[in-house]
Amino acid sequence: MPELLDVQGLCVDYVLPRGAVRAVDDVSFTVDRGEFLAIVGESGCGKSTLLFAVAQLLAPPAEVTAGTVTFAGANLVGLTDRELAGVRWRNMSVVMQSAMNALNPVKSIGAQFKDALVAHGVKDKSQIRAKSAEVLKMVGIDPIHLGSYPHQLSGGMRQRSMIAMAMLFTPDLIIMDEPTSALDVVAQRALMVQIKELQREFGFAIIFVTHDMSLVSHFSDRLMVMYAGQVDELAGTRTTFERPRHPYTRGLLEAFPSIRGPKTPLRGIPGNPPDLATPPAGCRFHPRCPYVVDMCKTKEPELYPLSKEGYPADDVLVRCLRIADGSLT
Amino acid sequence: MTELLRADQLTRHFKIGNALSRRTLHAVDDVSFTIGEREIVALAGESGSGKSTIARLLARIYSPTSGTITFAGRDVKTFRSRKDHLRYSSEVPMVFQDPFASINPVFRVSHGVLRSLKLHRPELSGAERQAEAARVFEVVGLKPDMLQRFPYELSGGQRQRVGFAQALAMKPKLILADEPVSMLDVSIRIGLLNLMAKLRDSEGVSILYITHDIASARYVADRLIVMYAGQIAEQGPIEDVLSAPKHPYTQLLLSAVPDPKAPLSDVADRGEPPRVVDPTPGCRFRWRCPLAIDTCQTVTPVLADLATGHEVACHVAQSGAEVTAFLKDAS
Repeated sequence: MPELLDVQGLCVDYVLPRGAVRAVDDVSFTVDRGEFLAIVGESGCGKSTLLFAVAQLLAPPAEVTAGTVTFAGANLVGLTDRELAGVRWRNMSVVMQSAMNALNPVKSIGAQFKDALVAHGVKDKSQIRAKSAEVLKMVGIDPIHLGSYPHQLSGGMRQRSMIAMAMLFTPDLIIMDEPTSALDVVAQRALMVQIKELQREFGFAIIFVTHDMSLVSHFSDRLMVMYAGQVDELAGTRTTFERPRHPYTRGLLEAFPSIRGPKTPLRGIPGNPPDLATPPAGCRFHPRCPYVVDMCKTKEPELYPLSKEGYPADDVLVRCLRIADGSLT
Repeated sequence: MTELLRADQLTRHFKIGNALSRRTLHAVDDVSFTIGEREIVALAGESGSGKSTIARLLARIYSPTSGTITFAGRDVKTFRSRKDHLRYSSEVPMVFQDPFASINPVFRVSHGVLRSLKLHRPELSGAERQAEAARVFEVVGLKPDMLQRFPYELSGGQRQRVGFAQALAMKPKLILADEPVSMLDVSIRIGLLNLMAKLRDSEGVSILYITHDIASARYVADRLIVMYAGQIAEQGPIEDVLSAPKHPYTQLLLSAVPDPKAPLSDVADRGEPPRVVDPTPGCRFRWRCPLAIDTCQTVTPVLADLATGHEVACHVAQSGAEVTAFLKDAS
């Protein structure tokens, strides 16, 4: 199966008066058709910047300084807005984090759907109405709400209508930036189940960004963990949950209290994420790492493929010197 | 356990609409609970269930429509003098959700701590205030030299610790913490939860921990109150409630908690929280409840003891039937 999206060596810099800050540093990954890729990381790790770079939505001072984003065979980096317009919505759409801010508060849901359809060449009124009603039904909202304004809908319904909007042209790829973070657990779960059902039915690929690893544990195919602008670990979701490799991933998994089983004191991860303007030398995680040794402070680790213990090569990628030389298992 | 605060039939309504369509939003309806000394009570429920309204009632930002709040044996309504009011607000401070919005950005972080010390503990001299500020910073896990920093120089976790330090400076008995960790990164949250447990154990402070994250509630809290649509659905010692949830809503809430270690449950709930505008009698969960019986349509359930201290407001559970509405296999 050909890859739908191929990101290679992508770097994004924020060009500021005091110098450039590299928010995304040499990130490479692929997404197959129909795949669900989750990207996990703390605030400031560059996950949202990465999404915006993939969707070519970066605005100054952020700019792509290296790398390629190949979507369905074409490199999107450097295309003009006019050229991108043919791809956006039709082939790739984005669901933003906060539906309250992403929806226009003074326009009805239906009018906003219409704007997107008209902008991409659907002019026929009955077609617009039929399509809008169809996508709204897909996400389980009564089409009567096409006449509703965002404030008349609950948080869950707003977020679902954003997803409906992203599906207007049944794109090949939907990029989602923490679509559930404003919802409570019950609504969050219902939305995740629904996203997965829609994906099964329509076969689009998803890139799903979240800071909550446990949220995607049952939904994503692969999991990419980011730290300080870099990929720390990339592997199958179940593989990572059963056996996290990178010390940061281990720390993240151990930071969740559970509602079952014995209560154990947890430590979290001491310290704070680094300032990307002055990232630490060597491994960027070394100041917070419980397994740190001297070489971590000077030598920068690469993203190593792990092929031991029955894992096929390339299945697990991990950026850790001690795992690479076998001193940490 | 000695009782510190008691809320009796606490109710808060808001008038909405205009002169032509007067309606009443029942944010909190007939809620009774207690908080003991040295106790962390978790208040959980979905957005709009009235959790924050309860915090604001207890902080006296809102006054109750009806019902009473008794603190350390005294009805707060009887407070008349400025001294009484000041004393209550220093003994029951709040810690807010958003550490980026709740600290004044133009002052050093020492400002908030020193100001409340000056207002609430006037007996201290300037040097004593400095020493006390340094002490509370150390208790919350910040270095005393951080007092001279500006908020923008601190991370989210550090700012939230400043929030707790400010509260602690006033020698509080009960801290009202409204979603204190929900804006923080996962790796930082545990540190704050551990701090809350430490404040209870070593400083003897009680905490009302408002959250929608049941797992973190279990980690720190002694008791759990589950709210639904302005009313208490279930309350009791947290391990009892979580190991044997009796109310269908509590079961739904638990089944929705993402848990990588458990298999995915196939609970299908697409329900929406109700808007509690001019509610009619009957259980407010009945539209989403698969077990609803005729009584639920007409009679509002009240809390009743099912086991020691474990109270549930559910007709089905109270009838003695086993409630397994949304229950996952407890593994």
